[in-house]
Amino acid sequence: MMNNEILKLHYDIVKGDYIRGGEASSNIKKALMQLGVDNAIIRRVSVACYEAEINIVIHSLGGYMEMKIYEDAVEIIASDVGPGISDVGLAMTVGYSTATQGAREMGFGAGMGLPNIKNNCDELKIDSTEGGNTTITMKIYFK
Amino acid sequence: MNKLFHSVKLIEEKCKGCSKCMNNCPMEAVRIKNSKAFVIEEKCIDCGECIKVCPYNAHDIDRNYLEDIQKYKIKVAVPSTTLYAQFGEYIDPGVIHGALLKLGFDEVYEQTYACDIVAEITKKEIEKTKKPAISLVCPSIARLVSINYPSLIENTIKVLTPIEVAANLIREKYEKAGYKYEDVGIFFLTPCAVWLTSLKHSSLNKNPDINGVIAIKDIYSKLLKEIKNDDTQKQDVNNMSFTGLSVVVPGGLCKSINSNNYITVDGVKNVIKVLDEVESGKLKDVDLIEPFACSGGCLGGSFLVENPYNARRLLDKCIKDTNFTYSFDELSDYYMQQFVENVRNIKFSNQKLAEDFVSAVKKMKYMNELVNTLPGTDCGRCGSPSCKAFAEDVVRGLAHVEDCKYINLGGDVNEG
Repeated sequence: MMNNEILKLHYDIVKGDYIRGGEASSNIKKALMQLGVDNAIIRRVSVACYEAEINIVIHSLGGYMEMKIYEDAVEIIASDVGPGISDVGLAMTVGYSTATQGAREMGFGAGMGLPNIKNNCDELKIDSTEGGNTTITMKIYFK
Repeated sequence: MNKLFHSVKLIEEKCKGCSKCMNNCPMEAVRIKNSKAFVIEEKCIDCGECIKVCPYNAHDIDRNYLEDIQKYKIKVAVPSTTLYAQFGEYIDPGVIHGALLKLGFDEVYEQTYACDIVAEITKKEIEKTKKPAISLVCPSIARLVSINYPSLIENTIKVLTPIEVAANLIREKYEKAGYKYEDVGIFFLTPCAVWLTSLKHSSLNKNPDINGVIAIKDIYSKLLKEIKNDDTQKQDVNNMSFTGLSVVVPGGLCKSINSNNYITVDGVKNVIKVLDEVESGKLKDVDLIEPFACSGGCLGGSFLVENPYNARRLLDKCIKDTNFTYSFDELSDYYMQQFVENVRNIKFSNQKLAEDFVSAVKKMKYMNELVNTLPGTDCGRCGSPSCKAFAEDVVRGLAHVEDCKYINLGGDVNEG
């Protein structure tokens, strides 16, 4: 568990950019394929990453994603600069969403984001303050 | 690593190194080395885009010609149904079959029965497959999935392609009639390049059902002459099915199986976008995705003559004139066993930078550092399609750092 990260990749994410939202996840997926990571792991990372990335696009004022590779795991950090999640417990509820009407009209905001992330991660940590930053740390082990 | 088989070949004398193919390849599989195009086989899906865009006809395909059918006692042609839409105006398919007989074939096998079998198997397989199910009727798409989307394998429908089913049925028929294997030559009249690869690939270890693949454009002028010829006998094509006819166009398969919850997508770049979404966990409510590598479906194939839009009009006319369809309420178990599952063998090629994980990480680190020192203009002068692709080529040993003209000049592009 004390392993140091052996590789870090960084991607900036722009708020409201629905067109390019998903690109960071695509790049992360490609990187994992180039590292020879198992397909089942890649699929889980893809789903979790995409949800986290779209969360930043829809809800936040912008942020970044980072992929850290350890010898035994991949860790994704999705961090944004607000507005924060007021009730993390509620946000984890299936079907609960604070997405705007506009985002819903584009097919987002079904309230599956965080539950989906949780289902695909081995470890999930959400740090958020209302009105402040949110950082989601997702870890998936290779074995 | 598996030795991959590809059909696209470069005629070196014709290639001027213009980089059109490199810039248009949707898989970033082409490089320019020493002023000649060069295809990275592991990335190529045989979509034929390089053939379409090359101004010098330098990309070509190993294929069969009409002379090759002479080796066989019984010569069978299996035309792709796209053939019926290649003559500018509507021509009765029976006349086209008659013209093919005059080119030397003994039988013209009409493929729609096989198409309907494939559609019916697809329908049954969707129920067992993870959603959205992905049709692999286009072999380029099968290659694409095996290269870029190994995690989507559970979503794919593993059924033989219509031409493979057709050839299988023809073999059976002649075998029952007492012919030896080597007496019968079965030739597919193909709309595109990928079938050469896919059919040769599947036949590496046994007697192939299909003996050869002839490009429609190669026999086009001869066919046209016979079609115009008054003594060409019109053949009976009463058993042609409209569902089978439409499998070559986007949406055709989905309509054949009566699905109204499908996505049809054409063009490799568009297919990539849709499959990326599937891999991100989206589109789970969709029953079937029907992807084609060529825009316009098979009618956009690189071996066809008619423009795909007019061809669509002509094929639609053909479909409209046909009132018949095979209905397989109960498809026999025999067909299900013979044409499904392990018969469609999809081999994954991997994209690993190195065999072991730690070396791959090291290479990726270097690759990312390198990307940051490159100009990011994707000028292509190094012979790679983008700066990112160039960095990857360097760590894979396919290019040298010095190939970048801007690094040579000392880095800063804006000053160069």
